[in-house]
Amino acid sequence: MDHAALAIRLLNAMPNPNSSSPFLSTRCRPSRRPLSLSVRCLQTPNPTPAPAPPPTPGSLLPCSAVAAAAQEAPSANLPRLRLRRLVDEFRSLPEPIDRVKRLLAYGSALRPFPEAARVSSNRVVGCTAQVWITATLDDLGRMRFAADSDSEITKGFCSCLISVLDGALPEEVREVTPEDFGDLDVVGMPGRANSRVNTWHNVLISMQKRTKASIVGGKGRPTR
Amino acid sequence: MMASFCHFPASPPHQSLSKLLSPLRRPRPHPFLPNVLCIFNPNRNRIRAGSQFRRLSLSSSSIALPPEELDSSSLGDLTRPDFPILHQEVNGFNLVYLDNAATSQKPTAVLKALNKYYESYNSNVHRAIHSLSAEATDEYEQARTKVAAFINASKPKEIVFTRNATEAINLVAYSWGLSNLRSGDEILLTIAEHHSAIVPWQLVAQKTGASLKFVGLTKEEVPDIEQLKELLSVKTKIVVIHHVSNVLGSALPIEDVVAWSHSVGAKVLVDACQSIPHMVVDVQKLDPDFLVASSHKMCGPTGVGFLYGKSELLSAMPPFLGGGEMIADVFQDYSTFAEPPSRFEAGTPAIGEAIGLGAAIDYLMGIGMQRIHDYEKELANYLYLSLLAIPNVRIYGPAPSETVHRASLCSFNVENIHPTDIATILDKQHGVAIRSGHHCAQPLHRSLGISASARASLYFYNNKKEIDVFIRALKDTIDFFISFQ
Repeated sequence: MDHAALAIRLLNAMPNPNSSSPFLSTRCRPSRRPLSLSVRCLQTPNPTPAPAPPPTPGSLLPCSAVAAAAQEAPSANLPRLRLRRLVDEFRSLPEPIDRVKRLLAYGSALRPFPEAARVSSNRVVGCTAQVWITATLDDLGRMRFAADSDSEITKGFCSCLISVLDGALPEEVREVTPEDFGDLDVVGMPGRANSRVNTWHNVLISMQKRTKASIVGGKGRPTR
Repeated sequence: MMASFCHFPASPPHQSLSKLLSPLRRPRPHPFLPNVLCIFNPNRNRIRAGSQFRRLSLSSSSIALPPEELDSSSLGDLTRPDFPILHQEVNGFNLVYLDNAATSQKPTAVLKALNKYYESYNSNVHRAIHSLSAEATDEYEQARTKVAAFINASKPKEIVFTRNATEAINLVAYSWGLSNLRSGDEILLTIAEHHSAIVPWQLVAQKTGASLKFVGLTKEEVPDIEQLKELLSVKTKIVVIHHVSNVLGSALPIEDVVAWSHSVGAKVLVDACQSIPHMVVDVQKLDPDFLVASSHKMCGPTGVGFLYGKSELLSAMPPFLGGGEMIADVFQDYSTFAEPPSRFEAGTPAIGEAIGLGAAIDYLMGIGMQRIHDYEKELANYLYLSLLAIPNVRIYGPAPSETVHRASLCSFNVENIHPTDIATILDKQHGVAIRSGHHCAQPLHRSLGISASARASLYFYNNKKEIDVFIRALKDTIDFFISFQ
């Protein structure tokens, strides 16, 4: 598969317009600013990229992430690619306050979460903030996530996680480990231990459990 | 409320160092501690006027201050040098530790006691005949004696060392509760109890058929004592109640609660975790049947706490945990058990930690619990009024007044900003450590209509300057989130 085809694959792997994913393409939000990927996504990424622009509501991955993914082999694990770019993105911001602002920008990019979905069955257990997660398998057999929280920083974590995992295959979601996020130097990540203040860890585990439940529920692709 | 607090409390009266060691602040002699006075302030005669630095000795610590600072030094300023952990930077800022209701910091005297134990005489207690064991046993039992003196228990054997207050409450619930509670009996608690005071009784109630009754809050956000009186009945077998709330900052009239409870034949278990570290607690005056506290909240190590129980009650209670130490004789199919407190101290105890708790008590008594309490009342008022002055901040619990004294803690929320977000930015951008969450008081939070709150809680080594730093940092944090919104 050549790079252009891979880029197209990535674009097609992006959220289904009928899903509840927070990262809908511009096809689903025609009133939003059109996504200008066509030129930038084919650029060769700079080995030491400048800070990526903050996400805008309705935007997809940062362009550099898509371009980098286009350079990879076709069988590359998309969540890992996206995570690498996310780590690079936050690392490119040397000041902690800028990382906070970026995290909050990620949080504000989440799509509104339906009130009807704020039920106890969607609550992530073990967090100091309230967090709700939904996970569904779309018609293409990919996982679609939505999330919300009453904490802006937690929304940012959820948004980062979704930016990595939304649109991934179920097995790709389940392969990700909390340790994979260990290099993500984001303000508010209090360490690697599993505790109730470690919200991102609890959210990731919840996303994985719901992914497993979606497969076992027999929706979409059969369990491997 | 504001009319009675139209000005901040006056600065503490200027006091010479010797007043900190005045006879008024020395603990009164206790019958089984004939040499107690020599434990405290051993070096007070070393204070010399005219020296470049005047020295105040608290237990085995020395504090040196330039003469020009002495008259204006608060208790916080005087004691801070004793706490090495407070002198560090966090995220590039001087640490301001305001999470003392979660756990307190430890003075050098306690760290030295722990070190000395493990370096010099670590040995199992009550078991061996050799010298190290004898010394360890003596120091361990001396720690028990110090705890008993600290709360004015009538005998050291009324003190059972546990892992913490939570374990102490579980001990009462499973040992006393399973033996004494039946279907139809009632366990009375307040909605403001810590989870450790609620959950064990839920578990025991399920096994026995007893039921839990909860006292709600008044509009001033304190447990409703009138409702408590109404809920007391002949069905009430035990009242489980906090002395000082870790969220509301309020103190309850324990003496009255105990008197009312006893009049209907109910026992009383007092959770003193937030009172014992901060004020004089006298079990002869309060007369609870059981009282629990944790070492780590009173400058002692983690891993040890204690249960105070009246002798006759402990003697009638079956064991909680089985194992070594708590037995008299062990046969293949049955065992006989030791007398309290050993009956409830199965296995090798936290020996060094208990000795460390003893050292913490020495340190606190060297300052004087009344002085600590008086100083913290000033801090409490200053904290409350400083927070109240910030727009959109809601503080929980009663407003302080001439008759209502708050503990030196405030749980609060800022409109439209999650407490976790507040606490995160305070830590990362200002080096200020506060707590956010439900503070192990979910029923209370639900009663207040919230899921979480932020909490700043002080101890005697904090000062008003730190409150000022916290308030400035909080305002900056609020401005940051408002600008983001």
